[in-house]
Amino acid sequence: MCFNSFFFLFFFMLINYFFFVYFIMNGLSVFFEWEIISFNSMSIVMSILLDWMSLLFMMFVSLISSVVIFYSKSYMNSELNLNRFIILVLMFVFSMVLLIISPNLISILLGWDGLGLISYCLVIYYQNLKSYNAGMLTALSNRIGDVMILMVICWVMNYGSWNYIFYFDFMKNDYVMFIISFMIIIAAMTKSAQIPFSSWLPAAMAAPTPVSALVHSSTLVTAGVYLLIRFNYLLIDMFFFKVLLFLSILTMFMSGISANYEFDLKKIIALSTLSQLGLMMSILSLGFPDIAFFHLLTHAMFKALLFMCAGVIIHMMNDIQDIRYMGGLSLYIPLTSLCLNISNLSLCGIPFLSGFYSKDLILEMVSFNSFNLMVFILFYLSTGLTVFYTFRLIMYVMINDFNLMMIYNLYDEDYIMLNSMFVLLFMSLLSGSFLSWFIFSYPYMIYLPFNLKLMVIYVSILGSILGFMVSNMGIYSLNKLLLSYNLSSFLCLMWFMPNLSTYGLSYIYLNFSQILFKNIDMGWSEIYSGKGIFNILKNYSVFYNIYQMNNFKIYLFSFILWFMILFIFFFI
Amino acid sequence: MNNNSNKMFFLFILFFSTLISISSNSWFGCWIGLEINLLSFIPLISNSKNLLSVETSLKYFLTQSLASINFLFMILIKFSLLKNFNMNNIISIMMNSSLLMKMGSAPFHFWFPNIVEGLSWMNNFMLMTWQKISPMILLSYYFNKNFLIFMIITNLIIGSLGGLNQTSLRKLLAFSSINNLGWMIFSIMISENLWLFYFLIYSMMISMMISLFFLMNMYFMNQLFINNMNFFIKLNLLINFLSLGGLPPFMGFMPKWIIINFLLINKFYFLTFIFMMTSLIIIYYYIRIIYSSFMFNYFKMKWVNLLMKNNMSLINLSSFISISSMILSTFIFM
Repeated sequence: MCFNSFFFLFFFMLINYFFFVYFIMNGLSVFFEWEIISFNSMSIVMSILLDWMSLLFMMFVSLISSVVIFYSKSYMNSELNLNRFIILVLMFVFSMVLLIISPNLISILLGWDGLGLISYCLVIYYQNLKSYNAGMLTALSNRIGDVMILMVICWVMNYGSWNYIFYFDFMKNDYVMFIISFMIIIAAMTKSAQIPFSSWLPAAMAAPTPVSALVHSSTLVTAGVYLLIRFNYLLIDMFFFKVLLFLSILTMFMSGISANYEFDLKKIIALSTLSQLGLMMSILSLGFPDIAFFHLLTHAMFKALLFMCAGVIIHMMNDIQDIRYMGGLSLYIPLTSLCLNISNLSLCGIPFLSGFYSKDLILEMVSFNSFNLMVFILFYLSTGLTVFYTFRLIMYVMINDFNLMMIYNLYDEDYIMLNSMFVLLFMSLLSGSFLSWFIFSYPYMIYLPFNLKLMVIYVSILGSILGFMVSNMGIYSLNKLLLSYNLSSFLCLMWFMPNLSTYGLSYIYLNFSQILFKNIDMGWSEIYSGKGIFNILKNYSVFYNIYQMNNFKIYLFSFILWFMILFIFFFI
Repeated sequence: MNNNSNKMFFLFILFFSTLISISSNSWFGCWIGLEINLLSFIPLISNSKNLLSVETSLKYFLTQSLASINFLFMILIKFSLLKNFNMNNIISIMMNSSLLMKMGSAPFHFWFPNIVEGLSWMNNFMLMTWQKISPMILLSYYFNKNFLIFMIITNLIIGSLGGLNQTSLRKLLAFSSINNLGWMIFSIMISENLWLFYFLIYSMMISMMISLFFLMNMYFMNQLFINNMNFFIKLNLLINFLSLGGLPPFMGFMPKWIIINFLLINKFYFLTFIFMMTSLIIIYYYIRIIYSSFMFNYFKMKWVNLLMKNNMSLINLSSFISISSMILSTFIFM
């Protein structure tokens, strides 16, 4: 099953690649439309839009998913129901493809809902309590986005059809479009885990690692960004984009800080995904959708690779995900540490790897156009934080001493997993330059002063030095860390925002319902309907039995007495 | 019942006496029927080998004869002192009281549970169904509406409250019979056809239950749990009890439904309330029995192993009738 789906998706990727090259070279875009039903004034159509953006994204999605399925042949080989897993992943890919190629809201909803549901099924795949809680959090946060898209469908009925791409140029100042844009932005924020809804992404790391590599690095979380890229013409001068800018740069900053306090390998990678998502959303809200798309694609490559390396390391560490147990792995597993290092450095934006092209372009566009000071500071600070946690991770995992056991065998020669990682390694090295040559038919004009140009390098070096210093934990480090306990707990728990989605929502209601249950269900309603009435009836019945258990003569005599009374009344 | 030709003879006279009583032209004929009824029922229930049944038959004789005497006397007073036929006066109260005592209806019902406790199941069946026909029909000839409504309410309340504290199955069915008498007296006041309908369904339900108890020789509640009953027997018991209580898909709901319909259309709201609430107590009580016997698994040693393979068809038939007769009856009247 694994090999079949791997080959199918790989060929699908190749087909998409060739069509993409043809379409972008000739500036072509194809729109298929099939009208299913048309009644009163609405028409339900099934339409497929194939332009270079959707083909490119489909190519990347199918490449990553084919590689992940091949990887999971070896990663999940002890799983009894591997076919079920592969089928779930394939359904996920299908929903994603449906989302990518659809220019109308109904099929976007089908793909969007499918993504949410299947990601829930995949997160709860290991059926334990932690996965259950994580799945609940994921599904319910995504559900808010689904509801928003449903309401958008309802509002778009004002315009006569659900093909939104036709209405952008004409209806921009309409009141209805105002509401639609608000809801679309909320939907994208829930899917891409921006600030009010960001608690599900670190929690969803309870899923198996191939799922994290496919879903939580490149496809599910980028669906929100993709939706906003499609709706970009509508939203570009609106007020909501300013709000989105504010929230997304805060997301970027917050997750960068929180990743420095984490000791779980997959959570660090999740928080770095969250940070890069914030970056994508913020550059999108500044008005550059194609750069956001570019960064989306390159990020997908190296983040998937990073997750897969993390999976190999977790398998090697006897299923331990805590980085304090790891160390010195670069000496023992050269090929895996090669992939890990390259993806980490690509994440930091080291020159001429793939992440450099997109990230550097973003930072230079931010510096070149005039935005306010807070935007500027938070962008560069977050870049520095990225390097900070990356170097901290490398120090913990690769360089310090091995902390797990005395005698251990680190097995690197699993060539199924390694081959799949090599494909992504190749792409993550080269895709930056490839894409910049394809997507940007003319380069962006950037003219910066010297120090501003080198600002990236300054914050990177600062971040790396800090990362090196922080990872030198010694025996006496703990008492110095306790000096800043309040600040640390605020920063490491993602600014206490997960409580918004979990504890804060349920505590009041559970407390109230406990009071109600104790006082009413087990209190007054027992006296007035349950046991109380039973006691009353029982007392009446006992009272009646005193009359029943009597001498027989008394019955007969009472009958005669009754007649005597009646006679007296008759003859008065 | 034993295959005893003496009992057959008295049974025949019993049936005949009821027919005399209800089809006579004058009140004397009614009274004669009642007397022959009493005289022929006594030999059916007395068994000189058993002291308890002798005492029971003596008690029955005393109460019923007292009631018959009063009935005769009231007939004579009515003939001699009243020249008209308006129903709701004091003579009708007196006549109704004596008939109510004959039936075993409240407030003259105190003999009824005592006697029922001393009789066997088949005699109980006779007492609860056949013996009620002639007093009821005589009641319908000359009744006092206000007095009867008051008696109905008393019937209902005593039937429900008295049965709460019982463990003997015979007394339980006795109090349920008193409760159903309340419904039946009210249905007499509505129309005689309706009374006939109610009475037939009631006697069918009682016959199913009593035949079940008779075949398993069960007189007390704890015998329901100790015995190792077949699943279908328990199911039959469940269905019959619920039907007797008047729960909807079963047969016993139909007559109660028609009566409630009449009550609500004619705005007897208070009486409806009493009917409903006492039915609720009765059903609570039945469900308490069948819940314990049907659902719980008692850990006592079960010494009695009831096989009952020969009588299964009767039980299946009765369950089928109880469940489906409400729906099938709509097919009849289509």
